[in-house]
Amino acid sequence: MKRTRLTTAAITLGVAGALVLAGCTKKNEADTSAGAGGGDTGAATTTENAGGAAGSAGASAAGGAGSAAGSAAQGSAAGSGSAGAAGAGSVEKASKNFKVAFVPKLQGIPYFEAMNAGGKQAASDMGVTWLYQGPTQADAAAQADIVRNLIQQKVDALFIAPNDPGSMAPVIQQGIDGGIKVGTSDTDAPDSARQVFVSQASTEGIGQGLTDELMKAMGNKGKYAIVSCGETAENLNSWIKVQQAYTKEKYPDAEIVDVVYAGEDVAKATQMATDLMNANPDLTGLVGECTSSAPGVAQAVKDAGKIGKVFTVGLGTPQTMAPYLKDGSSSASVLWDVQALGYLTVWAGVQMAEGKEFAAKPEIGTDNLKDVSYDAATKTLLLGPPLVLTKDNVDNYNF
Amino acid sequence: MSAPTVSGPPPTPAGERRKVTERQRILPSPVTGQELVLIGVIAVLWIVLWLSTPAFLTANSLQPLLGAVAPIAVIGIGMTIVIITGGIDISVSGIIMVCAVVVAKTLVDYETSIWVVLLMSIGIGALLGLINGLLIAYGRVHAIIITFGTTNIFQWLGLQIFGGNTVSGIPDTLATFGNGAAGRTWGVPHAFAITVVLAAIAWWYLRHTAGGRHYFAIGGDPVAARLAGVRVRPRIASAYVLTGLLAGLGACFLVAQSSTLAQNVGTGKELAVIAAVVIGGTSIMGGRGSVLGTLLGALLVQTVSSGVTQLGWPSQLSDLFVGIAIIVAVGADLIRERARRRAR
Repeated sequence: MKRTRLTTAAITLGVAGALVLAGCTKKNEADTSAGAGGGDTGAATTTENAGGAAGSAGASAAGGAGSAAGSAAQGSAAGSGSAGAAGAGSVEKASKNFKVAFVPKLQGIPYFEAMNAGGKQAASDMGVTWLYQGPTQADAAAQADIVRNLIQQKVDALFIAPNDPGSMAPVIQQGIDGGIKVGTSDTDAPDSARQVFVSQASTEGIGQGLTDELMKAMGNKGKYAIVSCGETAENLNSWIKVQQAYTKEKYPDAEIVDVVYAGEDVAKATQMATDLMNANPDLTGLVGECTSSAPGVAQAVKDAGKIGKVFTVGLGTPQTMAPYLKDGSSSASVLWDVQALGYLTVWAGVQMAEGKEFAAKPEIGTDNLKDVSYDAATKTLLLGPPLVLTKDNVDNYNF
Repeated sequence: MSAPTVSGPPPTPAGERRKVTERQRILPSPVTGQELVLIGVIAVLWIVLWLSTPAFLTANSLQPLLGAVAPIAVIGIGMTIVIITGGIDISVSGIIMVCAVVVAKTLVDYETSIWVVLLMSIGIGALLGLINGLLIAYGRVHAIIITFGTTNIFQWLGLQIFGGNTVSGIPDTLATFGNGAAGRTWGVPHAFAITVVLAAIAWWYLRHTAGGRHYFAIGGDPVAARLAGVRVRPRIASAYVLTGLLAGLGACFLVAQSSTLAQNVGTGKELAVIAAVVIGGTSIMGGRGSVLGTLLGALLVQTVSSGVTQLGWPSQLSDLFVGIAIIVAVGADLIRERARRRAR
């Protein structure tokens, strides 16, 4: 479905306004239905959160132990972050009010809203301006328009999670030519001139984490299948490769019988997982490779009444996975602290804007960013080992 | 599955013969050639899959399959009528999104009964359908343009209600429409049973009442239909209201299938519904079609998709097969139409 630019613009404007409204009115409903409710991410989409204007990081209100990035500065107008209970306060201030922009693949989904919340928090801690703007659908052309727009606004540092790394490369070059520090975050554009890639987790970390968690549930043996999403999704495919190799190498009694692709559709993932269980009666494990198929495969196990017989793991966000982790249809969800990723993105942008080089083990000064490492050869800033969500810690995260 | 809904020979239609169908046959046969072919193809596929997979023809496999058919087929009933009138409704994805998110949010935020959310969803769907219907019937712009516009507006509305978050932790109030044990009676998924009953009613109405035949007359030639005394505009509008209403019902089925609802709940559903209608033998040019065919079309598509997975074939093959089915169905329709013209 191709839209005209005008329509897209109208929708973007409309959604932005609407979400700001929704963000304002929905907050009081956050505590319905014990922890699994609709969430309270302050859902403004085009936000400029300058230095002292803290407090609007609504998502931080219920921040738990692990997410220090979210738990600082509850309503602190100073924005220094020293009010944070988790002791996140020692982040260095930027020398001036830089503009750091991030363009997600699409806006309005919990994943990127969580990154937005982390980015806002970092901007407020470091005294810089955070711009968050993305297309309403995961559309490469619409995303490139937004990036060009931000280049014209002369932001200081610009980060992109490209929908199509190939077509984003010339736009990235354009930004660098214009004197802007350009990096990728969440998803890389490896063949571009980007100056840094802020990576959530290594391919090996995710692939091995998923395999280890599933094997723990399956007793290190048995047949399992993978329900992936987009067939061309680079990151998913590279994780699957790691899972295949790692399973063969470390768990000789286990076997991957099939890999299927459900698109970003929860219901389709459920149906495909059901079909896989029927096609392989001795199947004891399922992996949901993305945030829509992770709840999908768990739902299939629940519907089929096979909780405890078939085990699932996946890459699911805490709030969508909470009910499944609690009823046992999902054993674990392997992810990363998405808010911390947003936080790290802003930090990286400020360093680049200051003209500083990254150290191999950068000192950022917040608790949940102490495992960050930098690889100069690939210009990759790595968040750390993946986060494993189970029924015991899932309620600590609110995205 | 749906064969029992086909009843005996039709009674003589009262009244409409002289209005509309002066030169046409009085009534087409109760089951069209396309439907017989579909029944045959589905039967062959089921037998092949039964022989070549461990568990295709078991309750564990068929129940979720029928559950997945239900939302597409139930919306397909309305879409069939819209396409019979010569229109199309690509806004069902937007309607599904709005209805689904309203239902999901209501279930999360309030203690409500299933009837409240069901009526609310159907009501909202009908209202959005009415907007389509009025714009198309009285605005004299082609349906594809109008519904293209409204689907964007509806999606905007839906995104606004979503408020930037996936809805998660939806309670199981709607479990009676879901794929779990609570969603079945005597092994039949409720959602599918409701779909079959509604399809049977629509089949009878379209075939045996003057009102039903008017839809065909409008699709065949709107001017002739008007001259023959058919109130063309209200009738066109009614087709879109019905589609919206059924999209509201389909949205409830979809919400019931998971405890989480993402913003892409409606994405691609309009094409899935139209595919089912076209494969079912309804002419995209209007004037001919049947809801029974649509039900079979939806069943065929889901059989192919499940079959490909259960056989362990690459997932993208199911897109290929569905594509071929659409082309073959449209081709068969064209050939039949030419033969019919030549016969006159």
